[in-house]
Amino acid sequence: MSQEEDSLTKNVRLRLGFADQLREVTVTTPKDEPRPWDADSALTVVGQPTPRVEGSLKASGAAVYTHDVRLPGMLYAAILRSPHACATLEHLDVAAALAQPGVVAAVPLAKVGDRLRFAGHDVAALAARSRDEARAALSAIAVRYRPEPFVVDTLEAMQPGAPQVHAAAVSERRTEGDEPGEASGGAARGNVRLGPSQSKGDHKKGLRQAKVTHSATYTTQVHTHSALETHSLVVRWEDPRRMTVWCSTQGIFSVRDEMAEIFGLKPADVRVITEHLGGGFGAKFGASAPGSRLGYAAGELARRAGAPVSLCLDRREEQLCTGNRPDSIQQVTLGAGADGALTAIHVVAHGSGGIATGAGVGRSAFGVYSRCPNIKVESHDVFTNAGPSTAFRAPGHPQGAFAIELAIDELAQKMGRDPLALRLAHVEHAVRRYQLELGRERFQWAARRAEAEARRARGARIRHGVGVACSIWGDYGRAKAAVVTVSVGRDGAIFVRNGAQDLGTGIRTVLGQVVAEVLGRPLAEVTVLIGDSELGPSVGSGGSQTTSSVAPAARNAAEMVRAQLAELAARLLDRPISELSWGTDGSARAGRRSLPFRELCQKIEGEAVVASATRPKTYGAHPMRYPGGDNYQIAGVQFAAVELDTWTGELRAAEILAIHECGRTHNPLTARSQVQGGVLLGVSYALMEARVIDRRFGQVLNPNLESYKIAGARDLPAIDVVFCEVHTGANSTGAVGIGEPATIPTAASIACAALHAIGRPVRSLPITPDRVLAALAGQDGA
Amino acid sequence: MRPFSLIRPTTLAAARARALAEPQARPFRAGGIDLLGLMKEGLRAPAELIELHALSATEGAEMRALAATEGGLRVGALVSLAALARAKGLPPSFEALREAASSAATPAIREAATVGGNLLQRPRCWYLRHPDLECLKSGGASCLAEGGENRLHAILGGGPCYIVHPSTLAAPLVALAATVTILGGGGRRTLPLEELFAPPRERIDAEHRLAAGELLLALELPAPAPGLRSVYEVAKEKLSHDWPLAEVALSVVVEGQTIRGARVVLGHVAPIPWRALAVEQALVGQVASAELFARVAPLASVGARPLAQNGYKVALTQGLVRAALHRACDVPIPE
Repeated sequence: MSQEEDSLTKNVRLRLGFADQLREVTVTTPKDEPRPWDADSALTVVGQPTPRVEGSLKASGAAVYTHDVRLPGMLYAAILRSPHACATLEHLDVAAALAQPGVVAAVPLAKVGDRLRFAGHDVAALAARSRDEARAALSAIAVRYRPEPFVVDTLEAMQPGAPQVHAAAVSERRTEGDEPGEASGGAARGNVRLGPSQSKGDHKKGLRQAKVTHSATYTTQVHTHSALETHSLVVRWEDPRRMTVWCSTQGIFSVRDEMAEIFGLKPADVRVITEHLGGGFGAKFGASAPGSRLGYAAGELARRAGAPVSLCLDRREEQLCTGNRPDSIQQVTLGAGADGALTAIHVVAHGSGGIATGAGVGRSAFGVYSRCPNIKVESHDVFTNAGPSTAFRAPGHPQGAFAIELAIDELAQKMGRDPLALRLAHVEHAVRRYQLELGRERFQWAARRAEAEARRARGARIRHGVGVACSIWGDYGRAKAAVVTVSVGRDGAIFVRNGAQDLGTGIRTVLGQVVAEVLGRPLAEVTVLIGDSELGPSVGSGGSQTTSSVAPAARNAAEMVRAQLAELAARLLDRPISELSWGTDGSARAGRRSLPFRELCQKIEGEAVVASATRPKTYGAHPMRYPGGDNYQIAGVQFAAVELDTWTGELRAAEILAIHECGRTHNPLTARSQVQGGVLLGVSYALMEARVIDRRFGQVLNPNLESYKIAGARDLPAIDVVFCEVHTGANSTGAVGIGEPATIPTAASIACAALHAIGRPVRSLPITPDRVLAALAGQDGA
Repeated sequence: MRPFSLIRPTTLAAARARALAEPQARPFRAGGIDLLGLMKEGLRAPAELIELHALSATEGAEMRALAATEGGLRVGALVSLAALARAKGLPPSFEALREAASSAATPAIREAATVGGNLLQRPRCWYLRHPDLECLKSGGASCLAEGGENRLHAILGGGPCYIVHPSTLAAPLVALAATVTILGGGGRRTLPLEELFAPPRERIDAEHRLAAGELLLALELPAPAPGLRSVYEVAKEKLSHDWPLAEVALSVVVEGQTIRGARVVLGHVAPIPWRALAVEQALVGQVASAELFARVAPLASVGARPLAQNGYKVALTQGLVRAALHRACDVPIPE
């Protein structure tokens, strides 16, 4: 280490690890970094189950969402969308719409000659005095299309001679929802664009060595985000060079930057506010939706009308053009030696994100069973004339996990091995191994497997099944991205300010807890202000990185404030600062003398003590790295129990045991809520959700929440959430992500449990009665 | 949705006269559940809605009745599904009706949705409901489900259109031999409920045999024969707010162990509530047993002609019939 580097860093000995596997680890941090919280840190606020601070606002309806924003003179926008799966725009004239009742402005969103590549593509937008007038006036827009050949089915699109979706190479803007490090872009062949592969060893050699092999094709459906609050934004021009935008977004600063870019403004002249957000799941980065130029439409209408414009999509638009999880067709081949050890894993995946890319299948097959020496995972994009995909909670992972985990169970069945034992033999990550062993006991794996098998053997009508699957994710907590400001006023009031939005994870509460912890004050005395770009830079809520990017920054800022207060206290107590300690009640102490927090605050010179801080890059990845980077690997496992009525093919998820970790669990209550939400999403994906598109007309048949089915209260299993806390030493609070890992293994574990109940695999999601009945009737794969 | 006027007539005559003048543009409104959906989807754009809840106490009495009648039951068309589900003193023999009424839609919808509306609602077929597609029922030349996405469509009695009848109350009401009273130009007429429904071969623009301006007043369930029991069984992909994949309502008259009468009605497998006559015939005169049910259940799908994606409904319907028979006849169902 050079002299200069040495002067900027320090080594700290921390006790890291989990459960009974704790050890002393040396971690290098920047010199001015507080000592990271580790296993020896006794915390009193962080780690306590704490109800979310805005809970009563949300429950009472007082919380203001973008849909609720009403400004004086505000107009309502509506968008005309192409009804054709593919068409060239031959004529467009918005002028006639301006004569319709209430209409104030109209703008084209496509040009004559443009190819509109999916049913739902933007054509034109208008703004009127009421929402009804806006929608009614759309039919007055003069438009003519020339329909063109299209293809919406993924397999058909892969055939030679299929209609070409894109004439030229596609380049896309990445969002903060994309998994960092996922490369994109490869050679195109027809509608197929070759993607990157993950590879180690020699999978061909591994398959040659195998004594047992299993090879099958697994398919998954298109899954839509279906946030309760549809995509929406309200734009108000303050003057010709400045605007305020209220937006339902999970990335306030990506909205700011996109609006600035569209309208040629300085980012600092665009203010973005997201006080509360009704769900995002990866589809709400930037001012626009993946398949609709909402930012331009609302901003340009507002500019032309000289009035604020509210643009809130309806449910149909939301389902058609705001993103989805791509489908997948995965050919999985596994090989194992006579001893049962995996010799090869090979996955060739094709998937369609409609007109967009992003159909990779994540790192489950590559990273979880890493004791297998030879692995190759290839992911290819297939273009179709359907609404574009976008990042969706753990992009690629649920579909990837479904295929590899069910394939592992099928191989275990072939070899007569216990699928949990087979997993334990191939999982390297100590935390994941611990979680699997913990779940084996807690879920009574052996007894329940035996009971279910006995039922199947005696031909019971109601069958049971038990399965398990793993998740893999990385800690993407970002360095220097979030700047948190903490202030303590002369009246003792504590404020925390940052421009982060709350995706629903409870970041407001966590920031309050962290600052309350450092300053030794009750949480109720801390006011957290977030959801506004004026409150300081922050991260988008994607990649499960909000808490790990913002909470350590909040701690660091609070520590700086505390240091300033300590200096003041030392002066007032007339003791050297080295003798000063900070009581858990926020009082400053030196020897036998102490100064209560409020008294100390009264002595602040000027208004307040204020400090802003960020966090450095991760210190390390103990105990294991995520493949392809230097970041910490987050482990999780889920166990599923299903119940099957063999007379009707109805299969329900009865119980899910979700064992996860998010480093140090800052707020067990909101973390639990995130895991439950992940499980709910996974159950719904496993058993019912599917976009249905007619291949002859290229039309989505269920762009609604009636026949696009989402699990309701009565469909939920009993969910048992267990946190296996890990002292990561990755940052000053030890936070890593949980939002995405929590949904990765659910569908896979249910599919494995379904195999156990039926005795045959259902290799397509969702596992609906038609597929279950086919499997019961002896059709493999269904 | 196009703006409309809400007309609030207080007499049946005024309501009918208003509707008859322009039947297409002036539908009756009761619960408004299906009607508002059709209007939002752009499938109907009425100028006026004729509000049936505005009928005076006397004029609306029959439509609002929910009362026992000499061992039977009278159910007015304006009775909500929720009221039916929680009605006190419903004879135990009518259990199928109570089960069906409490299974449809959601608690909130059941409070507003009426018995009449449930029987007369339009099909949920996603081709019919699509704003940019034209099917046989919406003015097009062919059924789009027949060669398309037909997982949810008819396996029995289909063609030229393959909708399934959406009413959940229809199957138990037919199983319980309900009659329906209709007010029309010639005054009141009463017919077996079964005869209210029109298959697509007979009528493509509607699923019933009401003439323009005719008003469904009430249903009557005859007094059950001694030993009559009824049950309702349904399979859904989700338990919270979903349409059935298939359902069965059946009534059996059991004397000792012997089945003396049976009415077996299938829902969501055909364009009309579908009598499984072969099952009924095979049951009568037989001693109730698990073996009998296993043997007769496959007869539920006699005549089925599944489309490409809905063959599973054959096994599913058989399974439901078998389970329903066990419950109705008190023969323990296998574990």
